[in-house]
Amino acid sequence: MVAAPVDQVRTLYRTLLVYATASILILIIGLGEFFYFEPPGQHTGLKATIVGVYQYDPATNSVIGPDKNAFPRTVDFTAKVDWSTLPRNIVVDARWYDGFGNVVGSVGPGTPKDLASHTLVPVHPPTGFHHNLPGHYIFVVERYEGGVPVEVIARRVVQVER
Amino acid sequence: MGTISPRQAKPLGHRPPRFAIALGIAVALALVLVASSILNYIYLDTVAGRTSLYGLLAIALVALVTFIAVRSLARDPAERHRRFVRAGVLLGLAALVWLLLIDVFVFTSSAGPTVAVICALTCLPTTAFGLFFLRFLDRNETEPWRLVLIAAAWGAVVATSLVIWAESLWQAVAIRTLVPGPGLEASTAFSAGLLEELAKGIAVVLLFLVMRNEFDDVVDGIIYGAAVGLGFNFMESVSYMTNLYAIFAPEGVGSYAAGFQWYARQVLGLFFGHATYTAFIGAGIGIARQLPDIRRKLMAIAGGFIIAIAAHFSWDAWLTFFPIEKSSLGIVEIHLRTLIMIGPFTAALLALLFLGLHIESQALADQFRKEAAIGSGAILPEEVTILSVPWQRFQQRLRALQRGGLSAYLRVARLQSLQIDLAMERWHRERGELDTPPESAEDLLRRQVIALRQQLAT
Repeated sequence: MVAAPVDQVRTLYRTLLVYATASILILIIGLGEFFYFEPPGQHTGLKATIVGVYQYDPATNSVIGPDKNAFPRTVDFTAKVDWSTLPRNIVVDARWYDGFGNVVGSVGPGTPKDLASHTLVPVHPPTGFHHNLPGHYIFVVERYEGGVPVEVIARRVVQVER
Repeated sequence: MGTISPRQAKPLGHRPPRFAIALGIAVALALVLVASSILNYIYLDTVAGRTSLYGLLAIALVALVTFIAVRSLARDPAERHRRFVRAGVLLGLAALVWLLLIDVFVFTSSAGPTVAVICALTCLPTTAFGLFFLRFLDRNETEPWRLVLIAAAWGAVVATSLVIWAESLWQAVAIRTLVPGPGLEASTAFSAGLLEELAKGIAVVLLFLVMRNEFDDVVDGIIYGAAVGLGFNFMESVSYMTNLYAIFAPEGVGSYAAGFQWYARQVLGLFFGHATYTAFIGAGIGIARQLPDIRRKLMAIAGGFIIAIAAHFSWDAWLTFFPIEKSSLGIVEIHLRTLIMIGPFTAALLALLFLGLHIESQALADQFRKEAAIGSGAILPEEVTILSVPWQRFQQRLRALQRGGLSAYLRVARLQSLQIDLAMERWHRERGELDTPPESAEDLLRRQVIALRQQLAT
C-alpha cells in the first residue's frame, strides 16, 4: 500500500499558524506592557493646577511675560505648577516630553509638600544642542502608585516653532 | 494573435463572486477615506485638514489608475496600450499631488521643496533595487511589472494617506488621555502595527480578489506584499528624512539626520521592515489561495495579518530597549538591533518563500511533464528540463538572442512565459483552485504557444 502524498501547501499553512501563534504571544505581551503602565481603574478625579507656561530666565529662575502655547526654538520656557491644590498624602511628579518622547525637564517624584519649592519646571535643550528641538511638547503632572506613574492629573501641550 | 494572456482575460459579465467582495471593500474604503478626511478637517489643525483634502485627491487618482489598469487587461493590444499610458499619466499625477502635499503643506515652510525632492530622489534607486530584487527572487513565474508597480504605488500613496489620518486621530486621543512613557509608546506601536498593516494589507487583498490569475500561491503573495511594503517605506522615508532635516537643520546637523534616516530605512531597513511585515500578509493570502475550504482560508489570511501586526508592533514598541550609544560603537549597535529585532521575522518569511518556491518548482516541472506527455505540442518533451530550471530558460533566451537578436529573445521569453502560464493553469485545475471555467483558458494558451512556436520557426 502506498501512502497518499503530503500536500506541501498544508505544511506552509501549518508553519504560518505556528508563526501566528508566536505573534499572538507577542501581542499579548504588548498588551500586558500597556496595562502595566496604564492600569485600568486609576482615575481618581484629582486635578493639579498648571498655572501656565511662560518664557523662562534661567539666570534668575523666573518667568517672563504672559502664559503662552507656542515658543520660538531659541527661547527657554517653563511650566508653573501650583502644588498646594493637591492632597498631601499622594506622590506626584511633573515632566516635559519633547516631540520624540524624550524627557526634557522634570521635578519629583515626591509629595506635593516636597515639591512645594519647585513651582517652575523648565525645559532643557537635549545634550549637545544649543536650543530646543521644534515640535509638540507635552507637560504632565503624574500621580504615582507603587513607584510607577499611573494617572495624569494635569496636562498641557505647547508648540516649539521651527 | 493577441498578446494578452488568457490567464488575465475574463469575459465581462461572468465575474466570480470575489469581484463583488472587492467592489464592496473598495466602496467601504472610499467611504472611510471621505469620512476621516471630513473629520480631520473639522477636528484637527489646518495642516492636517489640508493633508486630508490633498491626500483624498491622490487616492482618487490612484483608484482611477487601478480601475483603468484592471480594465485594460481585458482589451485588445492597442486599446490596452492606450489605457496603460493613461493610467501611467494619472499615476504620475497622483504621485506628484502626494509629493506636493508633503512639500507644500507639511514641510515647505521649514525644509523647502528642494530638500523634499532631494530626499525623494535619494530613495528612488534603493526602492527600485528592492523591486528588481523581489522580481529576481520570483524566478519561476515572475509577476508582471504593472501589478508590482501598482502594489508599490498603493503602499506609497494610498496606504500612507490612510494612516496619516487614522494615526493622527489615534495619537490625538492617546496624548490627551494616556500617561506618557512606555504605556503611550505601546499604544502608538499598536496604532502603527494595526493601522499601517491594515492599510497596506488591503492592497494585497484587492489584488488577490481582482487579479486572481496573477496571484498563484505563497510566492506571489510575498512578492506583492513586499512590493506594497517597499512603496510604503519609500514614502515614509521621504517624510521622515524631510521632517528630521527641518528639525535638526538649525543645529547644523540636518543633513546628518536625513542621511541617517536614509541609511536606516532605505539600506538597513529596505527589507528588514515594512517589506517583511507586509510580505507576511501576502504570504497568508497566498497560502489561502491554495487551501480548499473557507475556514482555513480565513485562518491563513488572519494569520498573515497577525504576524505582520506583531512584527511591526514589536519593532515600534521595544526599540527603546536597545538604546544606541553616541559613539562609533553605535554603528555596530544599529545593525545588531535591526538583526535581532527584525531578523527572526525576515528569516521566518524567507523560510516560507523558499518552501513556496520549492513547491512551485516541483509543481511546474510535474505539469510540464504531463503536458508534454499528452502530445498537444504546447510543451515538447525536450523542453521539460529547460522550462523546469530558470537558469536553463535564461540560457535558451540567450541562444535566441545570439541567433536572431532582441526580437528573438523577447519571443522566446514570451513563449516560455505562456508555457509556464499553461503549467500553472493546469496545476490550479488539478488542485481544484479555479473559480472560472478552466479548459477554455488552457486551450487558448495551448493555441497561443503553438502559434508563437510557428512564428519562431519561420
